[in-house]
Amino acid sequence: MIADFLRIAFLGGMLSVDRAAGWNLMLSQPLVAACLAGALVHPNPEWELWALRIPIAVGALLQLLLTNPALPAAQKPHDTATAGVVGSTVAVLGMAHLHASIPASSAGLLWVLLGVLAGLIAAVLGGWVQGLNRAAAGADSRRAVALAAEGDAAGYERLYLGSLVRIFMLGALWSWCGALVLLAVAMAILPRLADLITVRRIGFTFAALLGGAFAAAYETHVRGVKGGVRWTAAGAAAAAALLLTLATEGA
Amino acid sequence: MIDDGQSTPDAPARSPDAPARSPDAPAPPRLLRARDLGAAASRLLHLQALLTPERMQGPGFAFAMIPVLRRLYPDRARFAEAMTRHTAYVATHPVFSGYVLGAAARLEAKRAAGDPIDGVRIDAMKRALASPLAAIGDPFFWVVLRPLAGLIAVLGIALFGAADPYEPDLRVLLCPLLLLLTYNAVALPTRWRGVGAGYAAAESPSSLLHALRFAEWREIFERGGAFLYGALVALLAAGLHAATSAGGSGVGAFGAALLPLALGFTAARLLLRRGAAATVETALTVLTLATLVSLAF
Repeated sequence: MIADFLRIAFLGGMLSVDRAAGWNLMLSQPLVAACLAGALVHPNPEWELWALRIPIAVGALLQLLLTNPALPAAQKPHDTATAGVVGSTVAVLGMAHLHASIPASSAGLLWVLLGVLAGLIAAVLGGWVQGLNRAAAGADSRRAVALAAEGDAAGYERLYLGSLVRIFMLGALWSWCGALVLLAVAMAILPRLADLITVRRIGFTFAALLGGAFAAAYETHVRGVKGGVRWTAAGAAAAAALLLTLATEGA
Repeated sequence: MIDDGQSTPDAPARSPDAPARSPDAPAPPRLLRARDLGAAASRLLHLQALLTPERMQGPGFAFAMIPVLRRLYPDRARFAEAMTRHTAYVATHPVFSGYVLGAAARLEAKRAAGDPIDGVRIDAMKRALASPLAAIGDPFFWVVLRPLAGLIAVLGIALFGAADPYEPDLRVLLCPLLLLLTYNAVALPTRWRGVGAGYAAAESPSSLLHALRFAEWREIFERGGAFLYGALVALLAAGLHAATSAGGSGVGAFGAALLPLALGFTAARLLLRRGAAATVETALTVLTLATLVSLAF
């Protein structure tokens, strides 16, 4: 488990740099982050296959829920880069450690819900952690201007690369701490609620969350788009026709 | 001003039999090499590491310009003056930052060669290019292309289908790859071209802006997003129908599965209408409400 958390910390650091330093290769998108975390976390051998499936569902839901159509400046400062990492890690390790005490997991949906919840909380708390970087960047920026005025290129480069290292370290530290703390909270609380966790309740909550994810996606992809509803209807009709054709050929 | 082994229109011609320079004459301007621009372009990947509201990407822009300025201004005082100029406020879209850097490098090279270009003109050109590029890039890359890439990856999850329960689910690698390829197929070539295009069009930034067709692409991509969203809804409905009819429970079970989905959709839409930027809070509220409602049965 220590090796898992070290890998997760490294991944979280890299994704923070992707998001905050300007790489913007989209490695920090929740789906990519969750799937990479799922590939890096290795629970006991009997859970290896589930460790690949659950992150896909966690990542897909977080991707739809956290995709914000607003420009970055208009968004709340949430850390969506490490949300997928923390969510996926808590889901997979939670499944491996808690399955014995909670028999009704509804084919893994409970762990998906746990991962999405952990990811959402991590996005909010991670935004606060990123506030530390913003505060430090203000002071470093003033120092950088002074170094530029002195013509000290080497000092400027050192300062700038130091800020890159800070982004990495904060992301790594937050991924490590966030995953560890949220996993510990889940391990402390969920066994006490085992009697309340039933297959019907898990199914209901999962379906409602899926509906919420589709509403968020509607806001992003349809609302405000010229002729958006018509294009949506066309897409649904095309997919339905394709499915019917495939079903007919299969029959 | 690029010394890449080939003559350029701007490079000062020098014949092989030109007289030797006298010791008192000023040093000839150093030519900018392609590798200086390459080094500057690679540093643009870290453009936002020192992002602040006062200077935005200014410190990052100056960091990226260091290889260029080091080459052009061996004199520390002139180097310091140029560095101070480039740490000033600049805000553009990261993918388009190469255009601004290329144009600024061209003007700096001309200034270093003795052309009558002052710092004010370089600042004015940066502002004239950076802000419109941000206005083009933000809506295209952040509002349309990034969510579209995510939607395509989620659609991929539904389309590829789950693997055999006893086999590794390769969607864990395929779907993120789909997202990365969709976004970077547009973003990386744009970044790659930026420095060269900006360098070539430094004298006429408006022609550079007119040549970019991202506003037209935006409409196409937006409609594509709405179309794919519809396809995802249809796939979800089909999947839900298949899952509920597998147990032989028919339309009643399908309706029962649809009810919480519709409740979650309606609640989230109402909450998002109040604050479109509060996606995380909305999701947490829906999750809490659904859990509380589920406790009723």
